[in-house]
Amino acid sequence: MAPKPHRVLLDRVSGYADEAAAYMRRRRASRRPFARLYFAEGRAEDHAADTEAGGELFVAAGRLIEVAGKRPKA
Amino acid sequence: MADGETSEAVSGAAAEAALAYLTEMSPDLRGAAILDGAGAVLAASGEPGRWREDAAALFAVADRAGGGPVEQVHIGTQQGEVFALRHAGLAALAVTERFALASLTFFDLRSLLRDLATDKPLRTFDVSGDVKSPKRRGADDGA
Repeated sequence: MAPKPHRVLLDRVSGYADEAAAYMRRRRASRRPFARLYFAEGRAEDHAADTEAGGELFVAAGRLIEVAGKRPKA
Repeated sequence: MADGETSEAVSGAAAEAALAYLTEMSPDLRGAAILDGAGAVLAASGEPGRWREDAAALFAVADRAGGGPVEQVHIGTQQGEVFALRHAGLAALAVTERFALASLTFFDLRSLLRDLATDKPLRTFDVSGDVKSPKRRGADDGA
């Protein structure tokens, strides 16, 4: 038996809303600042911005970004 | 340097050429610098003095935060991304737009430093020949 038309519409809208929510979650996650250190032996560390070490790393990175400036337009 | 290797003296001209090639190849790159084992700037896309100071500061902070010498640093901020790498007694730093491909950027930086250290600049990036020509393929096969 075919589903009622309003059910089809609701399912579609729910699907789009789920997709949009997932997109926004991914976008938020990828936009979060991060600082990662990798060591020769294969170890890696993540430093959050609200820690002392993380804060210092972000300050140092900010200076480098300032030195590099904007990419000249072609 | 983190890896403990020492590189032969790298000429500034070779480093400049490598940096120019990297800049040309990487659409996301805003600026970059190559430093020797002592922290002196061999090539930079801006003020060498500031690159030297800020690179030294970044590595010092990273070493302190990690409790030992770091090999790679990757920091992503709202303003851009910073990549730093020590390899073969040299160091390279790159600042890119946001969402640059990290593995590709580190691969390029590592190849660049390895080629510079072995005194074969741009070996990895050499695409001067037509790689698709039958003649070149035959040469690669040893035919």
